[in-house]
Amino acid sequence: MMKSLLSRSFTSATHAYLMPMVGIACVVLVLFLFSCSTHPLTQRGTALEEESALPPLYSMVFIIHGDGDYRFHDPSGNAHRADEEALIRATRVAVQNSQAEVFIFHERPRRHTLLFFPRRDGKFYYYRHGRLIATESYWRDQGTFRFDPEVKLFHRFRAVEQPQPVRVFLYFGHEIPEYDGVGYDASYSHRKFTVHDLAEELKRITPDSTRFDLIVLSTCFNGTPHTIAALAPYARTIVASPDNLHLSYFDLQPFERLDVSLRDGNIAGFAKNFAHRAFERLTEDIQTAVTVAVYDVDRVQGFLHAVDSTYDHTLTTLKGQKPGSVEHCDCAEDSAYVLSGMSEGVDLFYRPPRFGRSKHKQNHSGWECWRRLKSSIFY
Amino acid sequence: MLARTVFGVVVMMFVLVQAGLAGGKDDIQKYFNDTASKVKATTDPAEKRAILNKSLQTMSKALDKVQNSPLISKEDRAGIDQFKAALQENQDELTGSNGYERVSDAQLNAFSEYVVQNMEQADRTITISLVTALLIVIIIILLV
Repeated sequence: MMKSLLSRSFTSATHAYLMPMVGIACVVLVLFLFSCSTHPLTQRGTALEEESALPPLYSMVFIIHGDGDYRFHDPSGNAHRADEEALIRATRVAVQNSQAEVFIFHERPRRHTLLFFPRRDGKFYYYRHGRLIATESYWRDQGTFRFDPEVKLFHRFRAVEQPQPVRVFLYFGHEIPEYDGVGYDASYSHRKFTVHDLAEELKRITPDSTRFDLIVLSTCFNGTPHTIAALAPYARTIVASPDNLHLSYFDLQPFERLDVSLRDGNIAGFAKNFAHRAFERLTEDIQTAVTVAVYDVDRVQGFLHAVDSTYDHTLTTLKGQKPGSVEHCDCAEDSAYVLSGMSEGVDLFYRPPRFGRSKHKQNHSGWECWRRLKSSIFY
Repeated sequence: MLARTVFGVVVMMFVLVQAGLAGGKDDIQKYFNDTASKVKATTDPAEKRAILNKSLQTMSKALDKVQNSPLISKEDRAGIDQFKAALQENQDELTGSNGYERVSDAQLNAFSEYVVQNMEQADRTITISLVTALLIVIIIILLV
């Protein structure tokens, strides 16, 4: 009797213990199957609304890189994730623009479900006329080129452009490397990313060799002759920071009503207003340097051609140098770049850091270069 | 019993991995952010200066200890050197040495924010591994 009771209670306990385990195993299996599925992208999209027949007047593409160290603190001491903040602001821009189509690509860190099953590390949102039309998760490591998944999604959703809309491209992330480029993505330590990869993407999403009206690089140290030259074939105007840019990034409020702020169709004027406002907002809270530059791509060509070979030579010599043995510097501090027309076509908003060695540096040329460090001190 | 042990190990691994991912560099940033909060919380300039000085010194000591550890790679040693140099510059400016103008009493709150922002930006150029960052955090906890 006792044996029977013990046996029954053991069976019952085992059953009670096994059932949740079986349940968990089923969930794990389902997650595994989903995470490994190779469905074509077209089947994974979630159509939320029927597309409007009206062609958009504005087309905006946001790439928000979040696969790295993007935590920062505001002056009140609150921690933020720069990519998540940028996503919120980009979404606000998308919702507020009733005459635009907006592509938002959020490049997220690769995470795993239950430690083993990888989750999709890219998230795409497509808005048209202020409404979310589609959202989709994707793998970022599919394809030969870095931005293959994004380019495919762009071409799948973009409106047939009649008439040609005002086109804007915005990138948010850390400094886009000019050479080497390994380690930009925390989840893909061997994957490379340089400004040339970005230029390749722009080429593939620029139809009929037309240029973007405006490119915004919300990154540190990309206001360089090399980066601007690499992106020049795809842009009329570029806004970038030649120096450090705090992770709170550029303020996107001017983009929220393009039908109002671009009523006169003056993109160059809008870019200057945007840069000025971004500068004003950053200087309110930031103690480090604040530098925002607007490059009129056609007007800076003379300077770019003049310094092209010098800069390329510098980049060649920097390849293979140890981190910490080179640093950024204002091009005006290197005589090889000091030319009479170097400020032609550049509108600059600059405030030196409030502390540190550069706090008395009152001017910046608007162009950042590289130099080797004499000592191991990086700053 | 075996199932429970395996379950326990899986849960522990999960917790440790999560803790590791959340820790390291984020904790170093948090350390400077906490310092800034303490500086702003007091009105006495001498106390503000002492808080900043102690914070920078503690971090420098932690970096020295980690740098001497046999666990640290050559690349991380170079990263720690850069980190120490940045801290030294901050300390020099706070005390007004090595050619720096001393940070005035009225600017100490702003200076504490500058240290936070400077370190957050340095985080992108000074490369240290997660293991090294975690070691630094552990040493700081022991020193404070």
